[in-house]
Amino acid sequence: MKINAKDLWAGGLLMFLAIIGLFINGGFLGIGLEQHALGTARRMGPGYMPMLVFWLQLGLGAIVFLLALTNGPDPLEKWTKLDFVTLAISVATGIIIWQVMERMGLTANYIQVGIACFVATLILAISPSWRPLGLVLASFAIFALLLEPLGLMLTIAALCVIASLADRDHRVTSVVGMTVFLCILCWFVFIYELDIRVPLWPNSY
Amino acid sequence: MDLIANLAHGFGVALSLDNLLFALLGALIGTAIGVLPGIGPVATISLLLPITFGQPATTAIIMLAGIYYGAQYGGSTTAILLNLPGEVSSVVTALEGYKMARNGRAGAALTIAACGSFFAGSVATLVVAASGPMLTSVALSFGPADYFSLMLLGLIISAVLAQGSILKSIAMVVLGVALGLVGTDVQTGQQRFTFGVPELSDGLGFVSIAMGIFGLGEIILNLERPEARSVMSGKVGSLMLTKEEFRRSIPSVLRGTLIGSALGILPGGGASLSAFGSYMMERKISKYRHEFGNGAVEGVAGPESANNAAAQTSFIPLLTLGIPSNAVMALMVGALIIQGIQPGPRMVEAQPDLFWGLICSMWVGNLMLLVINLPMIGMWVKLLQVPYKYLYPAILVFCAIGVYSLNNSVFDVYQTLFFGIAGYIFAKLRMEAAPLLIGFVLGPMMEEHLRRAMLLSRGDVVVFVERPISATLLAIAAITLGLMLLPALRKGKDKALAE
Repeated sequence: MKINAKDLWAGGLLMFLAIIGLFINGGFLGIGLEQHALGTARRMGPGYMPMLVFWLQLGLGAIVFLLALTNGPDPLEKWTKLDFVTLAISVATGIIIWQVMERMGLTANYIQVGIACFVATLILAISPSWRPLGLVLASFAIFALLLEPLGLMLTIAALCVIASLADRDHRVTSVVGMTVFLCILCWFVFIYELDIRVPLWPNSY
Repeated sequence: MDLIANLAHGFGVALSLDNLLFALLGALIGTAIGVLPGIGPVATISLLLPITFGQPATTAIIMLAGIYYGAQYGGSTTAILLNLPGEVSSVVTALEGYKMARNGRAGAALTIAACGSFFAGSVATLVVAASGPMLTSVALSFGPADYFSLMLLGLIISAVLAQGSILKSIAMVVLGVALGLVGTDVQTGQQRFTFGVPELSDGLGFVSIAMGIFGLGEIILNLERPEARSVMSGKVGSLMLTKEEFRRSIPSVLRGTLIGSALGILPGGGASLSAFGSYMMERKISKYRHEFGNGAVEGVAGPESANNAAAQTSFIPLLTLGIPSNAVMALMVGALIIQGIQPGPRMVEAQPDLFWGLICSMWVGNLMLLVINLPMIGMWVKLLQVPYKYLYPAILVFCAIGVYSLNNSVFDVYQTLFFGIAGYIFAKLRMEAAPLLIGFVLGPMMEEHLRRAMLLSRGDVVVFVERPISATLLAIAAITLGLMLLPALRKGKDKALAE
């Protein structure tokens, strides 16, 4: 067997997304979520183009998937047990946090998405091979979470600290120096020069 | 002569203080990111898009264009000095350029690269200026069906010329078109795939997608592989060419310019393909072909001229037809639309300042780049020594603030995060992201033209083969696809795009 694992997954992913799309559009095996009107070929409704596009994608995905069975071998990178476990826990935790907060009505400013992303990506970073992925994403999530309550300066510091954990060569002094430099640079570029509307420091009241 | 009057008008625009300043800024930033491995023009331009909102459209586009062709110059510097191509298009330059550097002719290689690029850029600018209005008048006779076929052809060629499997690239184009469906349906006002999220009613953020996939995704991938940097080979040495080198490089520059100008117009081809095409040609027909592999001057002069010429002429489809030929041009479409300008054949008439100003600024920018690159080479070499560990947090911070400032909304930041994950998965499964971006930009336009064409033809699909323009375009598309099914040609393409 010469299975091309990369293509196999790529084809699977394409088909999966296409089926989801068809389902939402209202036209997969007669069931659907939003039921966009199809219209006719002459007067196309909002659902016509999505139908064409997703069926095409499903077909292409299927071809990629089938060809992948023979045109390999092209294996994926090896995953350790830790990789699997952290990924599973991370995704599960993320979904739970998101759903719980959504039910509790804590949805102002998409905080439920932000906290779920942040916690999930931090968990992901426990596994060494996911670390760059987890920490870079976590630093991005913390930026979105903190920017409006804490202001730009502290948020940049938080982003830098978390992001720098992703590279083993960073020392405390190098992170501090870089943070100070970036704060000054961003103040100059975004506040002084471009004057974007963003709080600089925490609201004092 | 119309052309001369128009060019004079363009130089008037391009030489205004503001535009000169931003062309210089763009060229500087472009060179910097070209020199720095790990961040390319796509990520940078999407990073800077939000910043350009406050500027007039012409100034914004001039700066963004400067970044693009500046990156071509910068990329060759690292390719020659470190065997480390900063951009895909300078991969070929590294083959001979680095060897020249090892032989102590680094300075000469840099001079050839810069002067060749300048010459090619100047010629290609003229090509754009001459062919632009001509193509525009053709494009004005296009109906909706013709437009649809043209876009289809563009998408197919860009998928065919992309790296990796054609089938997967086409699938990525389709996925991009699918992503473009999100938002309010233009004709009925119905919300599609928005899940009741108000931020999605305008569609997925174009900047978020580009920055997520090409910015965040790239950073993560770079961090995963340990920093591999070769050591600089000795000194730059004299920038002067010997008489022999000068004589040998001239025909190569001419041929490279020709190839680059022609291939740059093709969607998806652009700079990297033409650089490779030129290298292959030089190796075949040069009198000194036995020197190839050991630092042949022709191997630097040809590809460098070709990639820069292609970088300029890849603006032709964008400026005349409104069709982006590569991911950077897709970003330009985004920038134009945000500025309230619909790219297309009417742009030459409606926005003469922008059209001619941009063309002339390209030439001015190329001149600036010559100055920026040659005497200031030492500065760029210094920049190379900045370790990636300082670079990536800075890129992250700029990305985050840039995305946020688009709409002052954290939703856009989360959206970028999501596409960062998507970009990571795409890279791991070797799914090309550039076709996706082009599909995303062209998708909504295609839908509109398709619906309009079908309405006019009363639902008859035959309209696409009845109209001569449309039929020709579709035939070319079909032939292109058919040719790529031939195994011999596919192998040739794989070889050409290898690395």
